[in-house]
Amino acid sequence: MEERETSDEDELRRSAAISLQDQSRGMRFYSTSEAVDAVVIGTGAGGAPLMARLAAAGLSVVALEAGKHWSPARDFATDERAQAKLFWNDERLSAGDDPLPFGNNNSGTGVGGSTLHYTAYVPRPQPDDLRLYTEFGVGADWPLRYGDLEPYYDELEHFLGVSGPSIYPWGPPRRTCYPLAPLPLNGAAQLMERACAALGIRTSPAANAALSTRYFQPGVGWRAACTNRGFCQAGCSTGAKASMDVTFVPLAIRAGAEVRAESFVTRLETDREKRVTGVVYVRNGREERQLCRHVFLCAGGIETPRLLLINNLANSSGQVGRNFMAHTGLQVWGQFAEDVRPYKGIPGALISEDTHRPRDTNFAGGYLLQSIGAMPITYASQLARGRGLWGAHLREHMRGYNHTAGINILGECLPSAHNYVELSDELDARGLPKPRVYFTNGENERRMNAHAEKLMREIWTTAGARDIWTYPRNAHIIGTCRMGNHSVNAVVNSEGRAFDVPNLYIADNSIFPSALSCNPALTIMALSLRTADCFIERSRRSEN
Amino acid sequence: MTHKTYPRGTVRALVETDFVTPATRAVLKSRLVPDDAPPLAVSKPRFFDAEAFDILRAACARLIPQADRPRPVDLAGALDERLAEGKCDGWRYSQMPPDGEAHRLGLRGLNESAQAMFDLAFHVLDASNQDEVLLAVQRNEAPGRTWKTIPAGRFFEELLAELTECFYSDPLTLEEIGYVGFADAHGWNAIGLNELEAHEPRAVEDTADGGARDIGRR
Repeated sequence: MEERETSDEDELRRSAAISLQDQSRGMRFYSTSEAVDAVVIGTGAGGAPLMARLAAAGLSVVALEAGKHWSPARDFATDERAQAKLFWNDERLSAGDDPLPFGNNNSGTGVGGSTLHYTAYVPRPQPDDLRLYTEFGVGADWPLRYGDLEPYYDELEHFLGVSGPSIYPWGPPRRTCYPLAPLPLNGAAQLMERACAALGIRTSPAANAALSTRYFQPGVGWRAACTNRGFCQAGCSTGAKASMDVTFVPLAIRAGAEVRAESFVTRLETDREKRVTGVVYVRNGREERQLCRHVFLCAGGIETPRLLLINNLANSSGQVGRNFMAHTGLQVWGQFAEDVRPYKGIPGALISEDTHRPRDTNFAGGYLLQSIGAMPITYASQLARGRGLWGAHLREHMRGYNHTAGINILGECLPSAHNYVELSDELDARGLPKPRVYFTNGENERRMNAHAEKLMREIWTTAGARDIWTYPRNAHIIGTCRMGNHSVNAVVNSEGRAFDVPNLYIADNSIFPSALSCNPALTIMALSLRTADCFIERSRRSEN
Repeated sequence: MTHKTYPRGTVRALVETDFVTPATRAVLKSRLVPDDAPPLAVSKPRFFDAEAFDILRAACARLIPQADRPRPVDLAGALDERLAEGKCDGWRYSQMPPDGEAHRLGLRGLNESAQAMFDLAFHVLDASNQDEVLLAVQRNEAPGRTWKTIPAGRFFEELLAELTECFYSDPLTLEEIGYVGFADAHGWNAIGLNELEAHEPRAVEDTADGGARDIGRR
């Protein structure tokens, strides 16, 4: 087999990836027995941006992360099995009529959290997403407006280096353009583009937080362009994808924050006035206690409410763990005569938001459409679970892997009384109760799925697919500590501050009052920065 | 749709080249066993008792048949080892007991169904009868007391998904489906429809004379 010489471009990629890892050198360390200004729990899309913001404002910040601090270039293999180390693998119990898979589906561990395995799809919500109740009389309105988040979207897209189209066809006029040209369309995207054009559905290259060309990030350095590895959901080894470990985390460390990896938080200690005074965590098998003046809880839609329920905190509203939502995420797959090779290119290169508020429907909200590639083990596993294929049928279908392409939706999910997180009476290895998560799609989700399935099958039939099949699925974990205007029905206010505990803030997907009909990561980051700015502003005012 | 096959030897030819990163190479080599290695001795179970392990091995042979493979992937052994080490993948159905117990019960249930349907232990049934039992379990229609304590269909789904994931993590299984996503150290430039790079395998089609014909396109 022909071998290529290592090119300069490869060398640049390698050195860029390695230099990113040097960011934790020279990291400042804080004493556990002196109170720091802020302890941040979790280093994903919720924790990392505010950690950088608070440290840049001169505050002393310690972040506690349950997982390891990986070195992607050295530690990440292009192998799904080996990369299972990026998933939150502590057992959760899945209940309800549509029990959700966890692990690789939606929760991460390691410095960077779930962004280590997110696809980096970063569409913005549309303004009406934040006013679902006003528009439809169901779900919830957000206690803030699109205009409150817009400056953060502008800032984030430029800081992360989002690749996207020069004109985005949906949503309000934008004040800024995407800083980088879109990433190239892979086979699945070309098939979807072709069929949608024939059906009169508008499409666009998607906004993605992986770099289409190398990019200089202030405070971080150069990051190399995406090499189309197609492995975003199992770890980016080149640093091209804007996971938090190669963006906000090094920025925070440079500004003086300490990131304490492999530190699993078990307790929040409070004084008589119900203020958090310290955070207890387990590191190297030993319990440690970090004293602090404020806590920012950013552990995600399951672990955040779990920690609050275990500690009996911030729950006078009874809303902790309630309103659990998971986007409708139906996938339709097909096999094509063309060579697709679904392992190449970012999985979701093409998007359509023509279904954001489809006409003539019987459901509230809407959804977006994305083309999808597939990693082989994940795809085979879905065939087994979703289609029940086994024996010779399974192996025969998998021989068509290289000709496989998919489309999926990402749609609204209404909050509902029957979907929630509770503590079970089963204990994990640490002696903490395992969470049990109830999820059942409601009438609105079922109607939306039916609408979407019909449309996606039509698109795939038009594209020439054979052997079309549907994989029922929900994605993302949202809404278990909702924000709102009143302490009677919400856990935090619009700044992320807990109504019951004045020095406790939450910044992650748990505070979303509604699910939004788009991927959540960009909005989690925007809320994180906004919470930090509100906090800094409040601190300054109280000093003066 | 009839599918193509891919040439043998692709993975071994690529694994030592600089198309594969050192991290990926280490993982692939840990799983690659030479085709001419002596056949694997039946592993001695650590978690299951001998009877349950016999049933499991028989079920594996039907769920993921590997008669064509000179050296089949030891699926039963992998499940046994995972359970012996108490590893888990982040979740389970709330209606199921913990993984180890669920598999012990499920294999017992499988055997009860075989006894009820054919008056024989599952692992001594012929292949088509085994398939009939498995299908009944998958469809929640299998007889047997154990299925009153755990849902048959969920046990089947869990077992099948785990064996499938294990089988498709074997480099030679990936070779069979023409996957070379692991050879990405230089990234991919040709990513559109029908675009292949030089080191991506072309499908071959059996021809009348028994030879193979390259049908890949550039």
